[in-house]
Amino acid sequence: MFDYFCAIGNMGWAFVKGLGVTFKYLFSPAVTVQYPYEKLTPSELFRGALAFHPDLCISCDMCVRACPSNCISLEAKRNEQTKKKDLQWYRIDFAKCNYCRLCEEICLTKPKSVHHSREFELTFTSRNDFVVEWRPERPQPKALEPGQEWVKFLTQGRPPGRRRAKSPEGKK
Amino acid sequence: MNPLNPPAGVINATADSILSGPSFETKMERLSETEMLLNMGPQHPSTHGVLRVVLKLDGEVVTGAMPDVGYLHRGVEKLSENRLYPQVIVLTDRDDYLCAMLNNWAYCLAVEQLLKVEVPARAEYIRVLVGELNRIASHLVLIGTFGIDIGAFTPFLYAFGREREMILDLLDQVSGARITYNYIRIGGVMADLPAGWTEKAGKFVAHMRACLKEYDDLLTYNPIFLDRTRGVGILSKESAVSYGVAGPNLRASGVPLDLRKMAPYGVYGKFDFEMALGKNGDCFDRYLVRRNEIEQSLRIIEQALEALPAGDILGKVPKANIRPPAGEAYAHIEGARGWLGVYLISDGSLQPYRMHVRAPSFISLAVLQEILKGWKVADVVAILGSIDIVLGEVDR
Repeated sequence: MFDYFCAIGNMGWAFVKGLGVTFKYLFSPAVTVQYPYEKLTPSELFRGALAFHPDLCISCDMCVRACPSNCISLEAKRNEQTKKKDLQWYRIDFAKCNYCRLCEEICLTKPKSVHHSREFELTFTSRNDFVVEWRPERPQPKALEPGQEWVKFLTQGRPPGRRRAKSPEGKK
Repeated sequence: MNPLNPPAGVINATADSILSGPSFETKMERLSETEMLLNMGPQHPSTHGVLRVVLKLDGEVVTGAMPDVGYLHRGVEKLSENRLYPQVIVLTDRDDYLCAMLNNWAYCLAVEQLLKVEVPARAEYIRVLVGELNRIASHLVLIGTFGIDIGAFTPFLYAFGREREMILDLLDQVSGARITYNYIRIGGVMADLPAGWTEKAGKFVAHMRACLKEYDDLLTYNPIFLDRTRGVGILSKESAVSYGVAGPNLRASGVPLDLRKMAPYGVYGKFDFEMALGKNGDCFDRYLVRRNEIEQSLRIIEQALEALPAGDILGKVPKANIRPPAGEAYAHIEGARGWLGVYLISDGSLQPYRMHVRAPSFISLAVLQEILKGWKVADVVAILGSIDIVLGEVDR
């Protein structure tokens, strides 16, 4: 009988102790971030969506080889006058990208022509939209403001006048 | 006639399909008159992923159990055979996604053995820092989800939602990702610690110490929790050793075995910490060992932060075309779930010839068929939660 009441007492005490912890937090400030209205700033090194600068790229193919998931493809043409390779197009399939920074690390140009931006809101409405294409003939903004480049570069990465990018295999 | 419960000697197609093949036939024997089969999973929330356990029940008592794995198989070992050496690190991130840092570390140790490169002292200390932080994050997941499995929801919100989030933020500042870090590289680490990081980590250590007391109030010494876990699912020393279980599950059974103490890799020999040990090998001890291991990890982090030397963070490794000489290497570390080993064969080319991962949770899962016997259905969830498996690592 004594044990029985002891057990009840123990349970009650544990109940009070546990609720004490939760009760304490009733008076502490809330930590929830109301996401679409307020946003957290990503860290300096944050690996967000890839940004690409066609004017800097020397078409060395190093990022294509370094990518573990084969999400980068590019085509270059040899320029007989300058004896250099001219970039024709550069495509990143964001559905395959696993945000590992290997392409950025291997990139030879300074500043890096392909690098992670701090943009984390990556939404596409169709699978074809995941393939983003950059072409050098399109005008590029000069400013490289970190955090803002995504909107500029990605919108210019898509072919103008068409909602969906071409599939990398060609016409379908 | 109940299709799940055929009379002895009668081969029933339905029962056979549930038992799925000869392996179940031989392991589970035939069902007796009073027994039935129960499929737990693969979509059961408390199987921590996609694990199917076929339980043989006599009333409410489990008389046999067969874990059925492979629902999350991605073929990481085979995929790594046509990836370059640095690219495989990205795959190891996805093995055990709760402590990806330690996976990276084990793989990089193996490649460094092949390449025979020296890792700079600063990189070794950073590895210890991020590895121990990741170990704490992994144990916090156990504290949270184990509570949920048993019916205590609140600790989950604190352990998983607050403290683990702080660790992920710290690791995010270091590596740029929250779960799949790709941070520990062959010959060192990816990037140096950002300015002010060490102070933040020091603050976190102090905060975490205070939080452990809250977990004790909420969960560890709660009588309901004790009733559900103490003396349940006892894994004896002998069977733990014979199954090859390592890590916290083995230490909970009272076997003092910790690679960080026994065969210190990196700079673990320089730190002063104790081995968290259990006595009985029941669910409570398996929980308590992990809870105490968090304290020891905090001690290691404190010492590493104090002794952090200056210097390089990457050894002399080629930037592209890492080509280890032909040969083989095996490296193992104390992962959050046990001995995490990586066996590599190199044929002198750019890609590994073979990579094998000794996944600790795969081996811990094998014990399940033994320790579940004789316990009630309600205890199955507690026992499964306490051995702390990650299906990404089990299936690879």
